Amino acid sequence: MACTHDHSCEDHDCSSNWSLYKHIDLAKVTALNEANPGSVKSVFKAWEERLNSSRERLESNEGDPELLVYIPFTSDVKIKSISVVGGADGTSPSKLRVFINREGIDFSDAQSMQPVQEWELVENLQGVLEYQTRYSKFQSVANITLHFPESFGGDTTQIHYIGFKGEATQLKRDVVATIVYEITPNPSDHKTRAETGGGLSHVE
Amino acid sequence: MVLEATMICIDNSEWMRNGDYGPSRFQAQADAVNLICGAKTQSNPENTVGVLTMAGKGVRVLVTPTSDLGKILACMHGLEIGGEMNLAAGIQVAQLALKHRQNKKQQQRIIVFAGSPVKHEKKTLEMIGKKLKKNSVTLDIVNFGEDDEGKTEKLEALLAAVNNNDTSHIVHIPAGPNALSDVLLSTPIFTGDGEGGSGFAASAAAAAAGGISGFEFGVDPNLDPELALALRVSMEEERARQEAAAKKAAEESSKQEKGGEEQDATMTECASEGASEADNKKNEFLALAMSMDEPASSHDLQDTEMSDAATEDPELALALQLSVQDSAKDSSSQSDMSKLLADQSFVSSILASLPGVDPNDPSVKEVLASMQSQSEPQQKQDEDKAPKEEDKK
Repeated sequence: MACTHDHSCEDHDCSSNWSLYKHIDLAKVTALNEANPGSVKSVFKAWEERLNSSRERLESNEGDPELLVYIPFTSDVKIKSISVVGGADGTSPSKLRVFINREGIDFSDAQSMQPVQEWELVENLQGVLEYQTRYSKFQSVANITLHFPESFGGDTTQIHYIGFKGEATQLKRDVVATIVYEITPNPSDHKTRAETGGGLSHVE
Repeated sequence: MVLEATMICIDNSEWMRNGDYGPSRFQAQADAVNLICGAKTQSNPENTVGVLTMAGKGVRVLVTPTSDLGKILACMHGLEIGGEMNLAAGIQVAQLALKHRQNKKQQQRIIVFAGSPVKHEKKTLEMIGKKLKKNSVTLDIVNFGEDDEGKTEKLEALLAAVNNNDTSHIVHIPAGPNALSDVLLSTPIFTGDGEGGSGFAASAAAAAAGGISGFEFGVDPNLDPELALALRVSMEEERARQEAAAKKAAEESSKQEKGGEEQDATMTECASEGASEADNKKNEFLALAMSMDEPASSHDLQDTEMSDAATEDPELALALQLSVQDSAKDSSSQSDMSKLLADQSFVSSILASLPGVDPNDPSVKEVLASMQSQSEPQQKQDEDKAPKEEDKK
C-alpha cells in the first residue's frame, strides 16, 4: 500500500503507528446525527483495513451532512496526527474541528465553542493523508470529540475510517470523587506531630 | 431498564376544562402524568423526570429533571388552566432542559400531551422534529382532546421527522368511557419500546383493567410468582377433583337409600386422595389461614347443613362434602392444625359447641382417644360426621 512517508515501508510496519485504535473505549463511542445508530463503531479499525468498507460505515442523516463523534479512550493518550477516510462523490467531510476532554457536547455547543484545533480536509479516499496536531495541546487526551460541519457538496457525509497516531500512556484521567471542603479548619481535626511529640509539625 | 431523562410537556390551555375525559381533561392528564413519573422512576432508579407547562402565560418549567417523585407530584398541584398551548416553544424548552441534565449518560426523551389545536405549520414542526432527531432526542406524543384542522396530520408529520428506529411513538386517544391513563398503560409509551414493560406498568395495567382483582386470586404474579402458581395449580386440582366427584355423585344418586354411609365412603376416599396430593403445597397455608379464621364456626355450619341436606338433595350434599373435604384436607397436612386438634381442651370445647354432639357419647370418646395418638385428624372429622349424622337421623 502506498505510504507518503519518506522511507520504504518494508523497514517497519506502518500500521503499528496507527495503533491508538486499540486504546479506544469502543463501547462508549457515540455519534450524533448518524443514520444508523451504532454504525460509528465500525470506523475504528486497523490501518490495513482502512479501505475495507465491507462493514458499515458512518453516515449522517439524509440532507444533513453534519456529524459529531465522541471518542473516549481507555487511558490518556497523546495524539500526534489524525487520519480520516471519507466517501466518494462529495460525501467526504471538508472540515474537522476537535474538542478535547469535554463530554456531552451537542451540535449547538460544537458550533459555538472554540475548538482546540481545526483543519480543512481534503478528499482522502486512499487514506494516505494525515493531519498533524499541535502536539503540545494533545498531551493527555482522555476523550476527543470530532465535529464535521460540512461535506464536499454531498447530501450526506460518509466516513469509512478514522485513525489516530500517537502514544498511549498508562495514566487515567479520573474525576476527583471525594473531596472535603473546610471553610474554617478545625485544628483539633488535624493532629500535628508537635502535639503528639517530636519532629517537625505538619498537618495531616 | 433504559437510563433516561424525560421531560413531560403538559397542556394547561383553556381547552382542558372540557369534561369529555374523566372528571376533566386536565385531571385526566394529571393522572396520566403521575402514572408516567411513577413508571419511569420505577423502571430504573437513576431515571429522572421533569415537567413543564406549555400554555398559561408562557412555557414554564415546573421542575427540572429529578428522580424525586414527591417533588414532581407536588408541582402538579395548583396548576392553573388558561391561555393557548405553544407546542413548538414547549418542545424546544424541553430540549434545552434535557441538554442541561446532570447525568449526560441518560437518553433524552420528551413526552408531549397535545390536547388543544396546534397552531404551528407542519413545516415548523418537521424542522423541530429533525433537530430533535439530530440531537438524538426521542419524542412521545399523546394526541387527545380537540381534533381539528389537520392536528393529527401535523403530529404524525412531527413524529415522522423525529422517529429513528421506532423509538418515538404517537398515541391517539379518543374520548370514551376509559380513563386517559388506563388507555395509556397499554401503549408503548409505558411499555418502553417493546422491552416487555416494567412490573409497575404491567401490574397497574391489570389492576386498572379488571378492578383490584384483575389478577386471578388477587395475587400479582410479578410480586409473588410462587404463590400465584400454587394457587393456580390448586384451582386446577380442585376442578379435576370436582369433576371426578361429580361422576361419583351421578352413580350415587341412583343408590340414594344408602345415603350417609356411601357419602362418607366417598368423602373418605376423596379426602385421602386430597391429602396425598396436598402435601407440600403452599396454597395450604393460604387455605389454612382462611379456614383457621373460623375453625369452630365453619364446622358448625357444615355439620348442621349436612344433616339437613343429606337426605334431601344429593348434589347439595356433594357440594357440602367437598367443602368439608377441603377443610379436612387442609387440616390433615398441617402440623399446626393437627397440634391444635390434638389439644384435648380445644377439641372438647369444639365438640361441645357442635349441636347434636354429646361429648359423653362413646363413639366420640373413642375418637378423642385416637386423636391423642395423633393419627389422622381427618379420620376424626369423618367419624365425627358419621356419628352426628347417625344421631340426627
